[in-house]
Amino acid sequence: MTAAVLDPRAHPSADQASQWRLMWWAFRRHKLAMTGLVIVALLYLVALLAEFFAPYDPDAAVARHVYHPPQAVHFFDTAADGSWAFRPHVQGMRLSRDRFTLQTTYAPDPGQKIDVGFFVKGTPYKLWGVIEMERRFFGTVDPTQRAYLIGADRLGRDMLSRVVAGTRISMSIGLVGVGMSLVLGIILGGLSGYYGGWIDATVQRIVEFKLAMPTIPIWLGLSAALPMDWPPMARYFAITVILSLIGWTELARVVRGRFLSLRTEDFVTAARLDGCSERRTIFRHMLPSMVSHIIASVSLAIPGMILAETSLSFLGLGLLPPTISWGVLLKEAQNVRSIAQAPWLFAPGAAVCLAVLALNFLGDGLRDASDPYAQEGR
Amino acid sequence: MKMRVASHLAIALALGAFALPASAQMTFKEAPALATQVRENRLPAVAERIGQEPEVVTPREGVGRYGGQLRFGLRGSSDHNNILRMVGNMGLVRWDPEYTKVIPNVAKSFEVSPDGKVFTFHLRRGMKWSDGKPFTADDVMFNMQDIVLAGALSPTPPRYQSADGTPMTVEKLDDVTVRMSFSTPYGDFLAELASPLGQHPVLYARHYCSQFMPKFNPNVQALVTEARATDWQNLYMQRCGDIEIPARWGNVARPTLDPWIAREAYVGGATRVVMERNPYFWQVDTAGNQLPYVDQLVAPIAQDVESLILDAIGGRIDFQLRHLDAPANRPVLAQNRQRGGYDFFKAPTPGGTNMVINLNLTHKNPELRELFNKKDFRVALSVGMDRKEIIDTALLGEGVPWQNGPHEDHPNFHKRIATQFLEFDAKKANELLDKIGLDKRGSDGMRLLPSGRPLKFRIDVIPTVQPEHVDMLQLIERQWARIGIDMDVNALERTFFYERTSNSNDHDAAVWGGQSNWAPGDIPQQIVPVHHDSRWGIPWSFWYKSGGKQGEEPPASVKERMKLYDEARATVDPDKRRAILHKMADIAADEFEVFSVSQGLPTYGISKTNLKNTPKEIVNSWYFPTPAPALVQTFFWAN
Amino acid sequence: MLLAYVVRRLFWSIPFFFAVSLVAFALIEAPPGDYMTTFAATLAQSGDIVDQERLDALRERYGLDQPFVVQYWKWISGVVRGDFGISFEWQQPVSDLIWERMALSVILAAATLLFTWAIAFPIGIYSAVRKYSIGDYFFSALGFIGLSLPNFLLGLVLMYIAVVHFGSDVSGLFSAEYQQAPWSWGKVVDLGQHLLIPVVILGTSATASLIRIMRANLLDELYKPYVTTARAKGLSEWRLLVKYPVRLALNPFVSTIGWAFPQLVSGSVIISYVLSLPTAGPLLLQALLAQDMFLAGAFILLLCALSIIGMLVSDILLAVIDPRIRYR
Repeated sequence: MTAAVLDPRAHPSADQASQWRLMWWAFRRHKLAMTGLVIVALLYLVALLAEFFAPYDPDAAVARHVYHPPQAVHFFDTAADGSWAFRPHVQGMRLSRDRFTLQTTYAPDPGQKIDVGFFVKGTPYKLWGVIEMERRFFGTVDPTQRAYLIGADRLGRDMLSRVVAGTRISMSIGLVGVGMSLVLGIILGGLSGYYGGWIDATVQRIVEFKLAMPTIPIWLGLSAALPMDWPPMARYFAITVILSLIGWTELARVVRGRFLSLRTEDFVTAARLDGCSERRTIFRHMLPSMVSHIIASVSLAIPGMILAETSLSFLGLGLLPPTISWGVLLKEAQNVRSIAQAPWLFAPGAAVCLAVLALNFLGDGLRDASDPYAQEGR
Repeated sequence: MKMRVASHLAIALALGAFALPASAQMTFKEAPALATQVRENRLPAVAERIGQEPEVVTPREGVGRYGGQLRFGLRGSSDHNNILRMVGNMGLVRWDPEYTKVIPNVAKSFEVSPDGKVFTFHLRRGMKWSDGKPFTADDVMFNMQDIVLAGALSPTPPRYQSADGTPMTVEKLDDVTVRMSFSTPYGDFLAELASPLGQHPVLYARHYCSQFMPKFNPNVQALVTEARATDWQNLYMQRCGDIEIPARWGNVARPTLDPWIAREAYVGGATRVVMERNPYFWQVDTAGNQLPYVDQLVAPIAQDVESLILDAIGGRIDFQLRHLDAPANRPVLAQNRQRGGYDFFKAPTPGGTNMVINLNLTHKNPELRELFNKKDFRVALSVGMDRKEIIDTALLGEGVPWQNGPHEDHPNFHKRIATQFLEFDAKKANELLDKIGLDKRGSDGMRLLPSGRPLKFRIDVIPTVQPEHVDMLQLIERQWARIGIDMDVNALERTFFYERTSNSNDHDAAVWGGQSNWAPGDIPQQIVPVHHDSRWGIPWSFWYKSGGKQGEEPPASVKERMKLYDEARATVDPDKRRAILHKMADIAADEFEVFSVSQGLPTYGISKTNLKNTPKEIVNSWYFPTPAPALVQTFFWAN
Repeated sequence: MLLAYVVRRLFWSIPFFFAVSLVAFALIEAPPGDYMTTFAATLAQSGDIVDQERLDALRERYGLDQPFVVQYWKWISGVVRGDFGISFEWQQPVSDLIWERMALSVILAAATLLFTWAIAFPIGIYSAVRKYSIGDYFFSALGFIGLSLPNFLLGLVLMYIAVVHFGSDVSGLFSAEYQQAPWSWGKVVDLGQHLLIPVVILGTSATASLIRIMRANLLDELYKPYVTTARAKGLSEWRLLVKYPVRLALNPFVSTIGWAFPQLVSGSVIISYVLSLPTAGPLLLQALLAQDMFLAGAFILLLCALSIIGMLVSDILLAVIDPRIRYR
């Protein structure tokens, strides 16, 4: 096979390395997967420290900046005498609006250079709603001025800050949701596939039951049944549960299918004949041999959750403003005037795309790395 | 524009001798397709079809030519009223295009007794339903006696069936004359008849619809079984519809008095609706041409409003106001005027304001109720809003700071109710709030109730009806936070919103559009709580509607306004009526129960540039209902 | 043996169907309020007077005031006789409204399934065999991008581009001249042209996962000892690939065939809404939102029936394809 470059057994300490270490070595070779890992790690870092990474309060609206276009950062400033200096800034823009068509246009305001920088003092905020802070990762040097790297929305709210704020909700929904469905899926699928018989029959009926119900009505029914006066956090959690309820069956079915095939494999029979306990057989011998498949499914399930959240938001049944998620932002951008006049409002779509790509490549690399046969085959 | 809405009744009274048969010496012409049918003996001659007394209509720009189709966009669900707006509400009377007076329509003329209790309508001789059967006073009797007053099936009894609880009486004087009488004066009657909800007297063709009622057809059960209906009422709805349900446009066989009749019906799952000219339509232009000019109305059905906008941009819509009229759509529609081959027409609101904030003055929680009932609290909230910022941000810079009052050019203009407490003044707001016992603050800087619990309330809003409401509220939320008021925006789906705010009274506060509060025919629900949209005192409105049996007894000042409102409804003389309204407005201004942000914004519709006789400017109101009074049947294609 | 299994599964489907219908009915009933609440809201919005007594009378007529079990029983006993009840909103028998739309939904789903498989199989095999090649990366990235773009967004953008840059209309499933026309060759071609965009949009989101699953499964098989053995025995690479690994890699695939189809029907709701396609989706969505419960119920029931049949098919296929799965 083409890409087999390094044989882990050639590594000096390969003999003592644990299985996970072996996997890590294999994983490192996969360039795209490494990139994916870095991006996913960064995304979760941003999600964790969203308040710090957002240049502004994502809800702060500025009347004179509605539909403000993105501004490029200029690094050097040329003075009148021709000399130049390092001074990162953006060009200030001035709004004018056609009284009749209501079209907004922005023209550069030559006198206005807005200095920007890293770790600037911005408007005060509370990290995680607790720790009072002022420093922000990036922003305008003068906190009363505003710079829009990816533009502003219809109310003059900074899109970058909003996308960053959305990262927290969207990325965590994916993680928590998949976590829940993974547990359910493995337990039920594993039981069903390993024991067979009436357990299998029962679990299979449950799975089929769930699969027979079309998704959209379940979403609609359950979300519409959520009390309308729940606070945003409770709603967020409920939506995650609803999303994970939909995801688990796929995993369960896949796990069961694998178990059914594996049950008759020699090494399982061997383990059983060896007197291994049931638990040990399942968790020690069978499950690891399916890790690859589970990881492949999970790597597609997290993005699936993120996308499902956008779909729910589109239907108006998911999270609702003022909660900010990528889905909520995309729902707000889902109209002809955004395409025609403010395409930067689709930035959350790029964020979704990036996250999904990164997660997929990450999962892909993990899958390849965890495959014992793949290593022997090289 | 001046005098958008004037006294409709004075003119109505003067109309006793309106509509002399100007058509007496006319020779009538018809659309080529109909002429062919006449030649082939498949249709009677035009003079016979339109009867002896057709209405002669003066087109806005001039006599037009026949042919072509007119396309407008529909949505897939609950958009039946959009068809009604285009086809027109062919009731006994209608509004003139300026929305200033009620004029005859299906009725040739009408008279009102000086005491305002008796209304006599003269029908047109020889007028026909769209299937060629005669239309007579018997049809009106059927509609009023057998349907409306018998309560036979209508889930929506018209509010004009009685003025004071005693049902009206309807008499047939001869084949073309009917008289409706009330036990007390009913000044609003004609305005309500002219509204889209006032079509009942001439809605159903007796000869067709009566076959679905057991009273007239003992064998109705056979029809029910054949149609797989649940019962005869369901069958009746299927075949004849009702004013406010889509089934009204769901049966191509139903005879109507409309300019166009359904050929491809509006049913669940339809992808378009096609309406075809009514060969028996009873209006002609000044040259004797039978209307309508346009052969067909074609309405493709879109699920999503965005695809309607794309249809407009792509030039596949000829005339449209509804669904496109949000100010936010204007830039993109303006940008594509050339491509779509259309231009804008202006559709200003009939006055009023684009969002009224209603604190629930009858709140179930006594502490909040006490607070909301303090005028100073409401004044503080009002001056705590920076209306300029809201207008510049959420309303695209259009709008004028305004309270819930009619505009200056409105005959009912009342300065104080429209313009008091508009000035943004955070200092004053803080002082007022401190003064009324909200001087303590929590750790987050938000004010505490006198009991020490945090002051927190939510404003309910439907995000889909007027999307800008949510944006406005989000800005208000932040502005109020600066004066220590913790308000949350609570976006609700329409049904839940109604249930909470108009029925179970579970809301803290709610917002609602106030554009048509001052339109004739509508109820001034924001100055007197007599309606389900009076979300500042729902139990009071129950009390009023039930005659004191249900709900909650309102305070004296509200009760006084209710009495004045009854008086106004009964008053025939427009000046007296206005004086009563102003008396109510005086009290409402003193109490300052509700407050608003901005004047209602003018909306804009689109109309193809070569489509003629279309209005240049027309009031946008459901009670009118726009654009029907501009007579879509007179629109025509220039080339 | 297989026959006995099939008969047993068929037999099971009947009580199962009723159980599913019960839950479906409960789901429709779950949101607070009923159609009359929606109706009242619609009336109120246009300023009509909402008379509570009349609404209650209507509730009684439609049986909405009865306990859940009674309502369910009335409904399901009607369904068994082929009577789906009436749609409250349209005042028409539900059976007049659903069949054509269901048929178009099934056509859309079938076209999408064919499209996805036609693309996913070859690419999946290629990606597994030529792991880490430029082509593998390219196709993977392409698939993921398709997967990661929310359907509704893609739909609107494509529609916008079609209107503004090509002056054409891509919404709907038929052109104006064919809307009411009887079926003809021309109408089929017209339908095919209109299907293209929704199929591509739906397909892009489904192919990526199929490619990945195919690739992963095949990779699992490719390094198994039996493949090495076969190769050692001198089997050509192509025959080697098709004879066992591809067949085995299809196993988890087959187990998803049955329900992929109904899920596609239900997954097309959003795109059908955006593109105004006359499929079941938009009508179902409306019916659910308006709580027009018999209409919604009929659609859900049909979707459930599709799923049950699909699962039956896929279980049987699984038993046929994978000799290791044995049924007593």
